[in-house]
Amino acid sequence: MADSGSSIDDLSLDQLRERFASQADSVAASGDRDAWEELRLDWLGRKKGTVRQLLARMKDVPPEKRRDWGQGVNALKQQVETRLEELDEALTAGEVAAAHAAAAVDVTLPGRRPAVGSIHPITRVIREMEQIFSELGYSVAEGPEAEDDDHNFEALNFPADHPARDTQDTFFLQGESAGGDPLLLRTHTSPVQIRTMRERKPPIRVICPGRVFRFDNDLRHSPMFHQVEGLAVAEGLTFGDLKGTLDAFLKRLFHPGVGVRLRPSYFPFTEPSAEVDVTCQNCQGSGCAVCSNTGWMEILGAGMVDPRVLDGCGIDPSVYSGFAFGMGVDRVAMNRYGIPNIRILFDNDERLLRQIAV
Amino acid sequence: MLFSRNWLGDYVELPEDPRQLADGLTAVGMAVEGEEARGDDVLLDVDVTTNRPDCMCHLGLAREVAVQRGVELQHPQGDPEEADEAAADVISVELADPEGCPRYVARVIRGVSVGESPDWLKERLEAIGLRPINNVVDVTNFVLWEMGQPLHAFDLDEVAGNRVVVRRAEDGEKLTTLDGEERELSSRVLVIADGERAVALAGVMGGLDSEVAEGTTDVLLESAHFDRRRVRLGAGELGIHTDASHRFERGADPGVCRRAADRAARLIAELAGGRVLAGAVDAQAEGFEEKHTAHGRLDLARLEGFAGTDLEAGQVESWMRGLGFEMTPDGAAEGTAWDVTAPSWRLYDMEPGPDGKIYEQDLYEEVLRLHGYDGIEATLPGLTGSDGPRTPEQVRRDRMRDHLAACGYAEAVNYAFHSRDMDASTAHLAPAGSEPVELTNPLSELYSVLRRSLVPNLLANAAFNRRRGVESVRLFEVGHVFWREGKRVEEREAISFVCGGTVGNPWDRPLELDLFDLKGVLETLGEVLETEIQVRAADLAGIVAGAGAEILVGDEVVGWLGHVDEGDSDGYSLYAAELRTERLGIGVMGGTAQAQVRVPSRFPTVEADYTLTHAASVPWADVAAAVEADRPEGLAGFGLKDRYQGKGVPDGAVNTTLWFLYSHPERTLTQDEVNERQSALTAGLESRFGWQS
Repeated sequence: MADSGSSIDDLSLDQLRERFASQADSVAASGDRDAWEELRLDWLGRKKGTVRQLLARMKDVPPEKRRDWGQGVNALKQQVETRLEELDEALTAGEVAAAHAAAAVDVTLPGRRPAVGSIHPITRVIREMEQIFSELGYSVAEGPEAEDDDHNFEALNFPADHPARDTQDTFFLQGESAGGDPLLLRTHTSPVQIRTMRERKPPIRVICPGRVFRFDNDLRHSPMFHQVEGLAVAEGLTFGDLKGTLDAFLKRLFHPGVGVRLRPSYFPFTEPSAEVDVTCQNCQGSGCAVCSNTGWMEILGAGMVDPRVLDGCGIDPSVYSGFAFGMGVDRVAMNRYGIPNIRILFDNDERLLRQIAV
Repeated sequence: MLFSRNWLGDYVELPEDPRQLADGLTAVGMAVEGEEARGDDVLLDVDVTTNRPDCMCHLGLAREVAVQRGVELQHPQGDPEEADEAAADVISVELADPEGCPRYVARVIRGVSVGESPDWLKERLEAIGLRPINNVVDVTNFVLWEMGQPLHAFDLDEVAGNRVVVRRAEDGEKLTTLDGEERELSSRVLVIADGERAVALAGVMGGLDSEVAEGTTDVLLESAHFDRRRVRLGAGELGIHTDASHRFERGADPGVCRRAADRAARLIAELAGGRVLAGAVDAQAEGFEEKHTAHGRLDLARLEGFAGTDLEAGQVESWMRGLGFEMTPDGAAEGTAWDVTAPSWRLYDMEPGPDGKIYEQDLYEEVLRLHGYDGIEATLPGLTGSDGPRTPEQVRRDRMRDHLAACGYAEAVNYAFHSRDMDASTAHLAPAGSEPVELTNPLSELYSVLRRSLVPNLLANAAFNRRRGVESVRLFEVGHVFWREGKRVEEREAISFVCGGTVGNPWDRPLELDLFDLKGVLETLGEVLETEIQVRAADLAGIVAGAGAEILVGDEVVGWLGHVDEGDSDGYSLYAAELRTERLGIGVMGGTAQAQVRVPSRFPTVEADYTLTHAASVPWADVAAAVEADRPEGLAGFGLKDRYQGKGVPDGAVNTTLWFLYSHPERTLTQDEVNERQSALTAGLESRFGWQS
């Protein structure tokens, strides 16, 4: 290290001490790692370091002063080492800080998004309904969408040429089933109930989700939509059990405080039958355009399984009773996600679908 | 269906508050869907369900109100004053189709003067949206809306031979109906004929020639019971729907024919003058019963068990009687069980079961709707445990959907039908020899066949998104596909997915999706479902040449994938895959399927690379298969590291660099051991695939 040029020979240990202190101060001020290294070599270098040179001079010191001199050099060495160590730590801290400063980013920049897909609103609502009924002990039953007249109508107490069929405008298909029967697109998932009752013995608890089709296409209707129907058949099932089951389900599907109301109605396959309303989810019951100011919205149809249906499936209606219910999935999905028009559900516009991430 | 509050008030004492009337009707199953004040009257729009034709009239609806309120029902007056001359001496009735018409009541009123109806009658009809015509016709309409029985008035002078024959029309027989339309009939249609020709469509609409109009003096009044299927057939075939056909189709009251005729005859004589001839011709088919012959048993304890609530015997009995059921206490259980017969107006609603008895549930329904559903306590069934697990098919479907979503795909739901053009676009990918399943009555050509593939809809969705500026498309659908082989219709589940466009941050690391993004999804789908899925290059119509493949499970082709040939399209390329699901596994689930994992060695692995120069025509699958075939001991994994064509590589050749990873379960392999195995392996690859210049 360049200094005033004085050789160490001319300087006392005190002067050397002062000299080191001032050199160390300037290294600290510079914050320069190379200057630190130079300082270290100057003073502690194994060959030419000042401390080394001082120790090499021991032999020239008169014996009686050697002890003091030796202690003085050691003290100097100690001081240099300590100070160099301090400087090293300070430099390292500075370097880390600098590296961190260099790593600073604009954290508000957009992240690299992993691909996140989405499950269709209808599937999500069906899954939710399946989950609720699964907790109530129900399993899921399925059947074909291309059905025969017996399963879709006759066995459900819709006799041929009966006006009840007018409400179920039907698409008919060319071709026939494996059994040679003419086919139609099922108008509800109730045929799955028939299949279940003919294949199994009570007790039965199933729900039947799926696509259904009606000859209907306007702003409010789509020729394809989705239903979830349920069926329970056992000895001793009561109308109260139907009420309780729907109440438990609807409170889970909407919220625990939702109002549930049953009104007598008619379906060919249940008796007695009921239309089931819940508190309008748009106005929470205060009355609005959605609910025609009634405060209620019709959510499902239900009833005790008609004895004619049980008889037709080989289940004795004087021994067993059952209840069934069915609801549209699409309207629940529309309500849940604020989708104003049923056709939007089938546009498959990714800009909409991806708002409902998995 | 519209009802007038004032009119209902003729038969039953109504609650003061109109709201109470509406709520009460709704509570017993006659849903009031709208109310409208009209002068001092209130019109009620009531949804009368198809099983209750008896309530499609004011008296019937008033009966419901009376029973619910526990008040008397006032019946309208019949019993007209009669002249000496007897109807039976003037007309004859022949039931030529006793099944189609089991009862025909005819009365005759002579010397009427047809004119305008009085105001009260016009008001009643206008209130519910009917147009008054003349005093005779208006009476028939009034009685229909009062008692539910459709009537028809003929000008007796136009009934040739004073003879009524109820018969099937002859094929091609013509009749001009009241609406002025000349209609050609078939033998499926039931008609009222006179001695010469058809004069009315039975239960549907009268004929123009025999209508009662100004100048008519003698009236033949018809009050008949027609078979509901026969009326529905006729009305359906001719495309006519009338108030009369609406009721007959749903089942009119076979017991009311005479009473309705009497009531109408009385009103006609009152309003249009004239003499009501004595008696009526009441032609009945053999075995016809105007009352229900079937009995049922109502047992209070069983009813309570069914309802899940307690009921009061006296109340139950009075409700049922009020509704018109005959209740005879059952000797064995005095006061808590009854032998029950149903009123004639509930004939079709109470059809007996195979044992000839009225179903007890039919009777329960009556009691429960009057009791009110609100009064029944909600309980849960006493069934415990689970009905059963999810089926393998359901588990597979859930996993497929979740996997595609995890791969970044959005689920689509499309109609199950599409156009013939869309079908044709993937027809070659449908099973050989199959045809699309056609809809007999499609909404339009756009929805005329069931889809044999999910892909055309998904491509249409992709194009829809692309047109709207969506930068990338990744869509999938799980649904049924249908096809026809001969007459036989097949229905199977399939999964399809499409992709295209650019993903990732455009300012940073954009990625253009291509066939291998799609294929990666397919490969990982196979892993998720624990199914070995193979892909084999194939030329597929509709797919860019050289960029299509069949998907196989075992030896069976279960689907395909490829770069979609859109011709000269503006947007980004689209890639599609479709596979039928039935051969796919379901992944690990409850012991029905197992997957054994390989526990990785705890000892260090040794890596090796090897570059093979081979003809570009050699597929990677062959190279990979060769490594598999000669798999050296301890090879934990291998794969493709780099592909290079260009400087230093001969034309027509490609440099394929593979990576290899060796390990041993119990120790560290030495480099020498690895080198030895690698040399043997690579020598084999070199000799089989190495480039020969």
